[in-house]
Amino acid sequence: MSSRTLNPQTGRRGYGKARLAFISTATAAALLLTGCTTVNAPAGGSNAAAGGGGTDYLPDEAIKKIVNGREIKVGFAPPILSEFYTQVEKAAHNKMKEYEDRFGVKWKWERQGALNDAHSGTETLGIVQGYIAREFDAVFVCSAANAATMQTLYKQGSEKGIDFYQFNSTEELANPSQAEDPTGGLSTVANIGYDDRWQSGYLAGKYIAEQLKGEGSIIQIMGPSGSDWTKLRQQGFKKAIAEHPGLKIVGEADGGYVRDKGLTAAQDLLTKFPDVKAIYGENEDMALGASQAIDARGLKHWDGTSGIITIGADGLVSGMEAIKAGKLTATVDVNSAEMGSRMIESLFAHEFLNQEISQFIRIPTGVVDKSNAEWHEGVLKNVLAGPGKY
Amino acid sequence: METTSSQKNQTIVDRVVTRLLVDPTLGVLALLVLICLLAAFTLPVFLNGSNLYNLVNNSLVVMILAMGMTVVLVSGGIDLSIGTTMALCAGVTAAAMNFGLPLFAALLAALAMGALVGLGNGLLITRLGLPDFIATLAMLGFASGVLYIWTKGVPIIGYMVPEFYIVGGLTPLAGPLTLPMVIALLVALVLGGILGFTRLGTHFFAVGSSKTGAMQSGVRVERVRMQAYIVSGLAAAVAGIIMAGRNTNVPADLGNGYEIQAIAAAVIGGAALSGGRGRILGAILGAITLAAAVNLINLVGVPSSYQKIVIGGILVAAVLANRISAVVSGKVRQRKAMVLEGIPA
Repeated sequence: MSSRTLNPQTGRRGYGKARLAFISTATAAALLLTGCTTVNAPAGGSNAAAGGGGTDYLPDEAIKKIVNGREIKVGFAPPILSEFYTQVEKAAHNKMKEYEDRFGVKWKWERQGALNDAHSGTETLGIVQGYIAREFDAVFVCSAANAATMQTLYKQGSEKGIDFYQFNSTEELANPSQAEDPTGGLSTVANIGYDDRWQSGYLAGKYIAEQLKGEGSIIQIMGPSGSDWTKLRQQGFKKAIAEHPGLKIVGEADGGYVRDKGLTAAQDLLTKFPDVKAIYGENEDMALGASQAIDARGLKHWDGTSGIITIGADGLVSGMEAIKAGKLTATVDVNSAEMGSRMIESLFAHEFLNQEISQFIRIPTGVVDKSNAEWHEGVLKNVLAGPGKY
Repeated sequence: METTSSQKNQTIVDRVVTRLLVDPTLGVLALLVLICLLAAFTLPVFLNGSNLYNLVNNSLVVMILAMGMTVVLVSGGIDLSIGTTMALCAGVTAAAMNFGLPLFAALLAALAMGALVGLGNGLLITRLGLPDFIATLAMLGFASGVLYIWTKGVPIIGYMVPEFYIVGGLTPLAGPLTLPMVIALLVALVLGGILGFTRLGTHFFAVGSSKTGAMQSGVRVERVRMQAYIVSGLAAAVAGIIMAGRNTNVPADLGNGYEIQAIAAAVIGGAALSGGRGRILGAILGAITLAAAVNLINLVGVPSSYQKIVIGGILVAAVLANRISAVVSGKVRQRKAMVLEGIPA
């Protein structure tokens, strides 16, 4: 899908209004045709007309001249090595491969994933400092570290000519705005992700409300207290529930973002509140733990009219399989495929084409249940089978 | 001189108090009863049969690890790699199943891996002379790294067969009885038997109390220490097999923090970090105490940060109880010796 190759949303120079209008219309038409609003065409799919440019509006040869075989050294620093970040990285690799084939970009990619740093961020800090010391050209970062600390680090790195891109981060916690300041007060080139409040927590709450028709009790399995992701998703989830007076959150427990703790927490809460109608696991692993607790107690999973709803968030292949098997009712797919792809599009636009891109790049997210799990799983599997390998 | 009934009662109370103070296992039992009583008054659901059943089921993995850890602590060592060994063995089980091996062979492969890691720890300590803390810390890093490199951070999935749900305790074996309960009981009987009734058990205690003394008594200290780590590795493998079945996937960080829980449970149960002291029953009660604390916190709905404080508090209380117990048992031994020698107390 050509319109996705360079992101029109990022408002760069060089596109005529007519062309933009055409692209928007074409994109909308394509989305309507595919019935898709969430996940982009998988790498190696339609836009991998890559080889020759196909119907692409980009003048490949002209861009190739600009790129001029340049090599770029990119660091990738996720907060933990997991299924989700592997999906993000693979989607990025597929886009890199496409740009290598089309424009002759030479990539040097290095992943330094923290082994267990989803909560404090200190390990990621050291990794980013390492990238700065080794003078990488650009660094993708997702860290649980204090936002101000990270911004100080980005500022120091930027002064040495390194560009920072945050992904899947929680910058919305401080509500930074570009209304007055083009940088939004941040020292990053861009933040590629979604709004944890309204594009994740709120969606989960809304789905539960719709399924239960606004009536019933809910228990929550949350991430560790103090986590910024938890704070934001809670804000959105509680807002959605508050919109329905018949819904009540009766119990909450910490599931530490892992399945085993999610299972234990759900078992404990199901003992105290055996009549709950829904369990919100703030991530997919905890929701799957809750699903196991339902099985262990011999309770019934949601079948569309009765049983217990389990909903998580992430969008993992394992989650899609659980949905198809009826073990997980739904999940919020926060679109790892699109995230990885957009990260490379943004980097390419800024680093090679010298375009100004938006500080906040929001990717579409959506609820996945049995009705659309096959499509989402297909996209993810295509991404994972894609040609990118760096 | 006739003994009055109040004097008799006083003697019984003294004996009970002394017994509680001398035997740390009884101390942790008292602590557990206290937690249960407090919980029962504030949260009646705590004593609900299904809640107690969950609580025990949820404590089994830490319980098995704590039993293995107790053997190492008794012999004067410490195994910081026990959690990651568990994760590695869970990974081996899952991968073997995915490879198409029958369940039995997958379990054997996991046990072999556990024993191998234990042997590795033992060799690092006895052959290279590394301190136990450093050697097992290095093994923690090594085992964790192997799992991350092997899985690339992506959890191993797709290995669950119906029998594996039984192994993980998600499907009961018969009635409310789960296989992990049976396995934990067997591990307790075997390790309790070894520590209490075999020469090897006596050697574990002897080496943990004084390596020099044990050596002078003809005990092959290095061999005994190696055996303790192999036992710990095997316990980690058993826990890993259960965990693979319980978790239904094996992420690379599966074992994170379990070494701390295992040490905490063993120490709460009366094992001394200085060696020469510890009981399997204590490890069992320690694991149940930790699970009861987590269960209570979940039922009350307090933030997880309090969970850490509560566990820290229980640990401090247990270590203090251990110290008091050591002092009191020393005095009791001294008093007995004086009585035997005819010296008036």
